[in-house]
Amino acid sequence: MSIDADVILIGAGAGGAVVAKELGELGVKVTVLEAGPWYGNKQWKEPNQHRGSVSSSNPSDLDVNLLRHQYNRQENTMNDVVSGRFRFGPADRRQSVWYRNIPEHGMAWQASGVGGSTQHYWANSPRAFASAVDDWPISYSELIPYYEKVEHTLPVQFAPTTSKEELFYYGAEKAGWSLIDTLNPTSPGYRPQPNAILPPNERLMDPNTSLHQLSHMEGCTLAGHCINGCPYGPSVDKVAKRSTNVSYIPLALKTGNVEIRPNTFTTKILTENHPEEGVKAIGVKFRDTWTGEVGELYGKAIVMAAGSIENPRLWLNSDLPSNEWVGRGLTNNYWDWMTGVFDEKDLMRILGNQNVNPFVGHTSAARLDYPGLGSIQPSGLSPGLTSFLTFGFSQSGYASKLKQSPDVPWDLQGRVVGNELKEWMDSYRNTLSFLILTDDQPNKRDGVTVDPFVKDEHGAAPVIQYTPSKQDTKKRNELAKITADILRKAGAKKIIRTDWPANLFAHILTTMRMGFVVDTNCEAYQVKRLFIADSSVEPNSGGGVNPTLTAQALATRTAEKLAKKYFS
Amino acid sequence: MQATFRALTDSLVPSTRRIGYESPINITDMGVHEYLIYGLDHYIAIQEQLHHITLPLAYPTAIMLDEAATQLVNTGRAQASPQIQFPGGGMFSRLSREDRIQTLSALENLAFDLYLLPSPFQNNGGLIKHVIDALNRFAMFGYYSEWPAYGTTRLYPPDDRRLEFFPWGWQQVGYPGVSLGYRDFRGMLIEYEEVKAKEVD
Amino acid sequence: MKTDPDVIVIGAGGGGPVIAKELGELGIRVLVLEAGPWYGNKNWPNPNENRGEEKESSNPNDLDGALYRKQITRLENDMNDFVSGKFRWGSADRRRGPWYRNIPDPTILWQTAGIGGGTIHYYANSLRAFPHAIDNEWPINYADLIPYYEKVEKTLPVEFAPTTSKEALFYYAAEQSGFSLNKTLDVTSSGYRPQPNAILPPNEHLMDPNYSMEEISHMEGCTLSGHCGQGCPYGPTYEKMAKRSTNVSYVPLAMKTGNVTFRPNTFVTKVLTENDVKRGKRAVGIQVRDTWTGETEELRAKVVVMAAGCIETPRLWLNSELPHNPWVGRGLTNHYMDMVTGTFDEETLTEIIGSPSINPFVGHTSGARLDYPGLGMIENIGESPGISAQTLFAFSEYGYNSLGESNQEMWESRGRLVGSELEEAMKGYRRTLTLSVITDDEVQFHNRVELDPHVKDEHGAIPLVHYTPSEKSKMRREQLVKIATDMLRKAGAKEIHRSDLPPNYYIHLQSTMRMGYVVDTSCEAYQVERLYIADNSADYNSLGGPNPTLTTQALATRTAEHLANKYF
Ligand SMILES: Cc1cc2nc3c(=O)[nH]c(=O)nc-3n(C[C@H](O)[C@H](O)[C@H](O)COP(=O)(O)OP(=O)(O)OC[C@H]3O[C@@H](n4cnc5c(N)ncnc54)[C@H](O)[C@@H]3O)c2cc1C
Ligand SMILES: Cc1cc2nc3c(=O)[nH]c(=O)nc-3n(C[C@H](O)[C@H](O)[C@H](O)COP(=O)(O)OP(=O)(O)OC[C@H]3O[C@@H](n4cnc5c(N)ncnc54)[C@H](O)[C@@H]3O)c2cc1C
Ligand code: SF4
Repeated sequence: MSIDADVILIGAGAGGAVVAKELGELGVKVTVLEAGPWYGNKQWKEPNQHRGSVSSSNPSDLDVNLLRHQYNRQENTMNDVVSGRFRFGPADRRQSVWYRNIPEHGMAWQASGVGGSTQHYWANSPRAFASAVDDWPISYSELIPYYEKVEHTLPVQFAPTTSKEELFYYGAEKAGWSLIDTLNPTSPGYRPQPNAILPPNERLMDPNTSLHQLSHMEGCTLAGHCINGCPYGPSVDKVAKRSTNVSYIPLALKTGNVEIRPNTFTTKILTENHPEEGVKAIGVKFRDTWTGEVGELYGKAIVMAAGSIENPRLWLNSDLPSNEWVGRGLTNNYWDWMTGVFDEKDLMRILGNQNVNPFVGHTSAARLDYPGLGSIQPSGLSPGLTSFLTFGFSQSGYASKLKQSPDVPWDLQGRVVGNELKEWMDSYRNTLSFLILTDDQPNKRDGVTVDPFVKDEHGAAPVIQYTPSKQDTKKRNELAKITADILRKAGAKKIIRTDWPANLFAHILTTMRMGFVVDTNCEAYQVKRLFIADSSVEPNSGGGVNPTLTAQALATRTAEKLAKKYFS
Repeated sequence: MQATFRALTDSLVPSTRRIGYESPINITDMGVHEYLIYGLDHYIAIQEQLHHITLPLAYPTAIMLDEAATQLVNTGRAQASPQIQFPGGGMFSRLSREDRIQTLSALENLAFDLYLLPSPFQNNGGLIKHVIDALNRFAMFGYYSEWPAYGTTRLYPPDDRRLEFFPWGWQQVGYPGVSLGYRDFRGMLIEYEEVKAKEVD
Repeated sequence: MKTDPDVIVIGAGGGGPVIAKELGELGIRVLVLEAGPWYGNKNWPNPNENRGEEKESSNPNDLDGALYRKQITRLENDMNDFVSGKFRWGSADRRRGPWYRNIPDPTILWQTAGIGGGTIHYYANSLRAFPHAIDNEWPINYADLIPYYEKVEKTLPVEFAPTTSKEALFYYAAEQSGFSLNKTLDVTSSGYRPQPNAILPPNEHLMDPNYSMEEISHMEGCTLSGHCGQGCPYGPTYEKMAKRSTNVSYVPLAMKTGNVTFRPNTFVTKVLTENDVKRGKRAVGIQVRDTWTGETEELRAKVVVMAAGCIETPRLWLNSELPHNPWVGRGLTNHYMDMVTGTFDEETLTEIIGSPSINPFVGHTSGARLDYPGLGMIENIGESPGISAQTLFAFSEYGYNSLGESNQEMWESRGRLVGSELEEAMKGYRRTLTLSVITDDEVQFHNRVELDPHVKDEHGAIPLVHYTPSEKSKMRREQLVKIATDMLRKAGAKEIHRSDLPPNYYIHLQSTMRMGYVVDTSCEAYQVERLYIADNSADYNSLGGPNPTLTTQALATRTAEHLANKYF
């Protein structure tokens, strides 16, 4: 059988891009299939309007002006989950999004496209807690060199302080926490976020350089658009926020061994029963999202990096050997959100400034880690996202209809509407919000299955279900209390805990876990030459921290193992 | 829809008017546009739960042609004529013959915004190529086979059709039609037994 | 049949009736199920209008030549229309649409449902494979096949085609191009020869003006009527029709054994299996659906033979959820055909063949050939006007001649002809010689029949068919087209047209259930005991180029022997 590339890689998101670059550097020929569009590439000048070229493999196709034009930083254009550029759907936005059945209130927040969900991620890149990795089939010390390699490549830096961080540090100190100056926290404490964001340009505070000029120079401008796509920098590979489409993808293209094909949805893994190897992956079937045409590509190894929902869906829709853990054990850090409102007087005193201005600086630039519970991180979003995430998205119902408990350290819980909403939003500039990440434990009943009744153009649709355990809920409550305490100590006048629904999927991991579905090289136990390289292979939620750096470190390691096994 | 298909066959098959032939069924394309419509409307039969459906393709095909023609005109790749040749027709029927062919060619190369096409063609490149090809073939088979000669029965179910006159397409190309045989035997170049015998040696 | 048959055969096309007759002669009781109608059987006097009173027929007296002649009208639209013709791929009831196959490309898929299957309209060219394509490729040898070839050649019987004008011109052209006559059945070097056709030799009185054509058409022997493609109803009785489609050759012989029953209008929708503790899966019966009434039924037998053709056999396997085998439906070959047509002027013709026109509609539809081992072959084709117009001038991957580049060196026109161009070309119809180019195309895994994931018809998920030639196959076709063009030019053609057919032209379908991959050398499925295959799908490759049916019939003869030895 003729081979189209050494390795066929599915998904150009957080993990996929890393594998492409690492394999390319080892001289392995890779074809990457990405379901979504490619922004900032001259082969697709109007990626949402026309199907453009089939693929690109030339680094000189990348164009930062085009990227800037397309990443227009408007929150609705970019992040509307139905029609935004960062939605999970085909490039042609007149077509609807790819359906997922979430039979609870909730949402899956993912982005398709070259860069995947890192296009809108906040670039928070902490390592997993060593205590959580203790439960893995590989050791923490084995991971360290790969963490280091990714941190160096992206690169990762501690975030600069702006007003919201200063307010957080102030509150944290008042609440009795101290600074932990490490990448490997073992005890609770606060610290700046390790972010995959270039440091601010040295001339940022120099009034002789206009912000316009700065935005075309290297370094973060503290524009606060992390979630709406960051296009600032002199060239694509030097854009400030290090989504993989500006970090690993340009490096992959430079190896000369990587071809990337956007608008190409993989619908099936093809296998063969080999007399010696047993069931082995030999190729993929795909569908062009513009024309609906289908095709097949064959390689010596296949890497799935389609994310924690599409990987199991693809496995199941491909009728790969049954494994009761495929799709199961999903964790999502059981997120919550809490917001405090401050008085201008207090702010003047603490910050020397009347406002917090949550939209300034890295979207999240500081954190408090609590091994055993999880972590919390002050975060600042644009107004539309703030209003809907803080006041519109709750599993508690409407705050006004709820009997608010006097025993809790927050004033309000649930949805806020009407006049009350307006009042809260009037104080938008004086709010400090926290994202709460729980150390939730994998549970077999949670995860991704395929819908027996609903199909879309790519096959049976995924069904996603998640119910936190009592233990997870307890941890989340603990973290909420700590957050409220910090807010209160910093002087917040009013505190709302949104109580997000459990089925909010933004960190989506552990659905194809190492030790259950894949071995320690991330090769599937039951299908040879099939590797997985994204957040789905993580054995647990890392102790309650942001998952991407860990997925990327593992992907680096997997690329090395794969090349050694099949291409040395 | 009729007008669009007339415009289509007018661009694909010779016009009887052009060659000065009075068609017995009094339609310039020998009714081949109706043949296309019949063919398309009986082409895809599928099962949807309890229903066995024959998917009518003719109407969406007509819309597709008009939509494609409109896109060509809007992008300056074709020109609409102000003169109405096929009353009741859409944009496709207002193009010159050459531009109609241009439209078909662009469609089969998918050089279009496929989203604007009607279902089931929307973003369905394979089906578009398949059907555009079929339009060409159907038109010619309709024209040069005996189909037009079913005359007034031509649109009846196949078993109820009757030949009413000698097929004009056959007459034009000199095909004698159904024959019992021809006395054109020029001998056998080799005989089987000859070869078999050789094999035995 | 009142009791369960010993063997059920699915499909009464090129292969099915052969295995039925062979088994019947060994005293094994066979039930053949055929999805389409039966022409020329008194049990179905109006086979397209109503379902008739009988379900099946096993008595040779039911066969009726006069009825056959009435039904086979030889009108090209009535017989060959893909949507409503009697020889379409669809149910007997022509008010309904044909059975749908999804082929997302320009395509002609030319198959017939009915007793006789594809042989009702085939040209009866009955070629042995090229020995070099069998030896060292197939898991069996050419020598193994020879006795079976001989048996089929004798039974049908096969005879070299008589020369009519178009053959005379063909031989002249071949000589002019430097080829010589190849008097053999086992081709090892290039050369021309008459087609070995399963057509009875012309009646000795054919040229005798004292016999009317009407009389001759009721006598034994070919009348050179040229209706091979529209069905040949000429002969004294049903079983003595000139063209030896299986319905008039093997079917009557099978019925005469007294052990074989044929049941038309019966679509097999599933192969039933049982798990034998010791021996694994084995076939025990089938499920059918009556195409007139929609009634379903299960039938049991000791052995099941699939002979439903290269598309339906794998579809049936897949819809029956038989064990996974990556090669089921894979490796499809179709001889990647092309057509080159030369138009001659009257003087040239008078000089060469002594008459001013060729009259391509006279004589065997294809009576002469040029074999070219390593590339494939070239044969002449003389079809009726409608079919000629549609295959030669409407069906092309080149697009429209009028839109193509004007500097055609090799051909005066290429691709589709429309309007007055078409008219011109068709005006020369009587003076055309068409050469069909038939390529020795390579087996490719990606060429396939699979189930459409979205669309079903009344028999289950429909087949999706896909074919793209390999580079080598393309090169071979190009070379053959050059040779064909050269032949026409040397013979004095004034205008040469190349159709440039799209790759999805299915006349010869082969190798979708390949020997050595899906079935063993006895054509029994590796993974399902008591399940055999006896149609073109069991071929290992495309035979080097020769037309496939004789090889299928030889294999079916051989399979019958192996099957009977093993189970009876
Ligand atoms: C608002 C938000 C903020 C976030 N911030 C952070 C943060 O600061 N730090 C952090 O660590 N994490 C963050 N995350 C999570 C982070 O984005 C994801 O964990 C990470 O991107 C997951 O990587 P992945 O490779 O598993 O999947 P993805 O990055 O989602 O990549 C999967 C890719 O595969 C493609 N794909 C899917 N199916 C197919 C298919 N069948 N064929 C072809 N291609 C396919 C998709 O289009 C996608 O591009 C955030 C998430 C959200 C929603
Ligand atoms: C125009 C034309 C000319 C040709 N000329 C030649 C030639 O000269 N020489 C040559 O060698 N080949 C020729 N062929 C090819 C030839 O027709 C095929 O190779 C041959 O018929 C294949 O035999 P088969 O048994 O594989 O399939 P088929 O003949 O297609 O038989 C399959 C049978 O099974 C039936 N069936 C399918 N599914 C089911 C089901 N589920 N239940 C019940 N019944 C079912 C079908 O109705 C059909 O009758 C020609 C083909 C065409 C189109
Ligand atoms: S030319 Fe063909 S159709 Fe004719 S009589 Fe001979 S075999 Fe029959």
